Amino acid sequence: MLRVELQATRASLDVALTVADGECVALAGPSGAGKTTVLQTIAGLFRPERGQVVCDATWLDVERGVDLPPERRRCGYVFQDYALFPRMSAWRNVAYGIRARDRRQRALALLERFGLADRADHRPGELSGGERQRVAVARALARDPAVLLLDEPLSALDPRTRAAAARELTAVLHETGVPTLLVTHAFDEAAALGDRVGVLDGGRIVQLGPPAELSARPASAFVADFTGAVVLTGVAAPGPDGLTAVALDGGGTIVSTDTLSGPVGASLYPWEIVLEPGSAPSSAQNHLAAEVVSITEIGGRARVGLLAGQPLVAEVTVASVRALGLAPGTRVTATWKAAATRLAPR
Amino acid sequence: MSGGRPWFTVLLVAALTLALTFLVLPVVAIFVDVGPRELIASLDDPAATDALKLSLQTSVAAIALILLVGTPASWLLATRAFRGRELLITLVELPLVLPPAVAGIGLLAAVGPRGLLAPLGVSFTLSTAAVVVALTFVAAPFYLRQAQSAFAALDRSWLDASRTLGAGEARTLARVAIPSALPGLTAGLALAWGRALGEFGATLMFAGSFQGVTQTVPLAIYERFATDFTGALGLSAVLVCVSAALLLSVKLAFRAAG
Amino acid sequence: MRRIAALLAGLALVLAGCGSDNDSASSSKPPLTVSAAASLKKAFTEYGSAFAPATVRASFAGSDELAAQIRQGVKPDVFASANTTLPDALYSEGLVEKPVTFAANELVLAVPAGSSISGLDDLAKPGTTIAMGSKSVPVGSYTRKVLAGLPADERQALLANVRSNEPDVAGVVGKVVQGAVDAGFVYRTDVEATGGKLKAISLPADLKPQVAYGVAVVKGAKHPEQAQQFVDGLLDGAGRDALDRAGFLPPPAT
Repeated sequence: MLRVELQATRASLDVALTVADGECVALAGPSGAGKTTVLQTIAGLFRPERGQVVCDATWLDVERGVDLPPERRRCGYVFQDYALFPRMSAWRNVAYGIRARDRRQRALALLERFGLADRADHRPGELSGGERQRVAVARALARDPAVLLLDEPLSALDPRTRAAAARELTAVLHETGVPTLLVTHAFDEAAALGDRVGVLDGGRIVQLGPPAELSARPASAFVADFTGAVVLTGVAAPGPDGLTAVALDGGGTIVSTDTLSGPVGASLYPWEIVLEPGSAPSSAQNHLAAEVVSITEIGGRARVGLLAGQPLVAEVTVASVRALGLAPGTRVTATWKAAATRLAPR
Repeated sequence: MSGGRPWFTVLLVAALTLALTFLVLPVVAIFVDVGPRELIASLDDPAATDALKLSLQTSVAAIALILLVGTPASWLLATRAFRGRELLITLVELPLVLPPAVAGIGLLAAVGPRGLLAPLGVSFTLSTAAVVVALTFVAAPFYLRQAQSAFAALDRSWLDASRTLGAGEARTLARVAIPSALPGLTAGLALAWGRALGEFGATLMFAGSFQGVTQTVPLAIYERFATDFTGALGLSAVLVCVSAALLLSVKLAFRAAG
Repeated sequence: MRRIAALLAGLALVLAGCGSDNDSASSSKPPLTVSAAASLKKAFTEYGSAFAPATVRASFAGSDELAAQIRQGVKPDVFASANTTLPDALYSEGLVEKPVTFAANELVLAVPAGSSISGLDDLAKPGTTIAMGSKSVPVGSYTRKVLAGLPADERQALLANVRSNEPDVAGVVGKVVQGAVDAGFVYRTDVEATGGKLKAISLPADLKPQVAYGVAVVKGAKHPEQAQQFVDGLLDGAGRDALDRAGFLPPPAT
């Protein structure tokens, strides 16, 4: 189990977090939010103005003057660029932290687990990005750490490798049962790897919970935006049929099943938006007249950028794009359900 | 990047030719002036062999001292931030720009027979130890400067990784920092060694000139030059070869390691 | 680009200026290059500043080194040596005009002012440290002549105490003044130049070598007229006076 509390002037951090054994918590936030600083504090590479880190022992207690140096803390740290020692082979990298006489065997056994036994004698420069990532994780686990810290574990990988690496990493994390804290700027990475996701904004964790909860019930517009939702800003007030009406900035009104009033961010997911030609009304409760600004095809899907007083993004099939004859400048109506509109205070 | 105007390229080539000629000619002249057989014969002289042995012994001793003390010192300068760090770095580099004669005077004033430390019993003069002191003084900044910048250029994440893997600062220095900084360190080593081999002025003033004790090759060349020019050429040729071999072996070692 | 060119031009002018005379325009007084033995430093510097026909630029080093430079083709206007052997040798090699003996000096044993050493026998005692000139420099060869006159065991004991063979007499003086050695063989004029820091012990009359200084105009000198005037002044004139003041003896009668 890991418990960390820290307050620092760097990034105005004020964070408190507990990670249970076998759990993986992902701390997500934009660059500069202080995520790496949290990891560094746990590892002993940074000393905050105030804070406590308790794992298998008290590692840091600023008030009582306890500050174990990094080498006395049992942390497994996977750095953002992996920081593999360039002049050592893969197995030597992994064996670096092992003090026992049979370090080579143990290192090879670990590499075997990651499917890298045949690459053991190669130097980092000769390994692929995915292989380097696995060596870095193996190296971090070699010392049988009490906590595992990962800094952007997937961001250096190309998109194709990323999915496989994510699956592999999740499997390893659950297998070892070591409490894990990882930081990332991409919500989808956090959602893929973390049992719980914490969003860091302005130095504080504004929401902490399972990824689905953050998507479904974002605590703030920032969280909603961060989770990849489309966020429309406006002012909410009670409306007809027990729904809440939101007067959007830039024009237009939409309704939501959430109850909130005052300045809000109304969030919905791009795939929840349906595009209809011209201004034909339909049964969906929300419609906004919009103009197509851009169309990006990815795989069989298309992300259509729209402008309706505020920008929004709809994700539809390529077939729909053809059927509707969409092109930049085309006028369409964006429609979606009131229940799909989540409100969060701004 | 392809060449620009042709006249500029001509200028560049002319500058390089001039520089090369200027630097290479004196070295070539040493070998051309007198035939190889005479050169080798001129070395068959106890004074010459004594000088060569002494030069090697004293320069190796100086280098050993410099490596032993200079490596941790430059590590400290490179990795810890503290007030006055820039000033310390400048002080450490000072002997680099000091004329050898000034170095000699300085050494006398500090650790000569009537120097600052003489009342404490620390003084050197007219001994092989004095030669080592003089060589260490003039050569150390060459190593320190290179080592410090090599360490400072290291990726901090390697050092941090080493710490999180259970290695204290000393182990990190030995197992990660030094191997990674090796190219810079060996460059510094080569420069310092070359400088130590060639030192003349400070050695003469501080340690004197006596065959077998303090007369290093440069001092021996100076003495021979007046009466035995061929002999002086012979010793010079040997020193050129030794220095070239040194430079080459250091470069090869660095390439093999890298 | 223009600024760089101007800077380079300025630099070139400065460098050209450095090459010429220190004082006024080069047309007034020609420069006179003098290569002289290290022991002549004080006397020649004084004489040089008072020398009217030319601006004297003297360099001082071991006479053997200066002779070697002349053999290598370096052409000062005047060569003054701490012995007569070197000028005679250069004359027979056709490198200088006929040399003239212009001064004499005395080889002495120099010790620090408060030293308890009183003679050569003290030098043979174990634990005493000595500095002398190297074999080929005049002061060194004079010293070895003295040592050759000593009984073999005294000579061996003395040689065993030698700690440095300096390339010129200034080095020997320096070592004794610093306290690096207990005694050194130098010229009387050198001891007087230290202004009391060192005291001179005369050598036994039967061992004293004759120290005669020779001077010659170098063949192919740029300013032979002024060179000859310089030499003349050493025998009778401002040069002679400067030598006397420094403690040099008149040239030995041949």
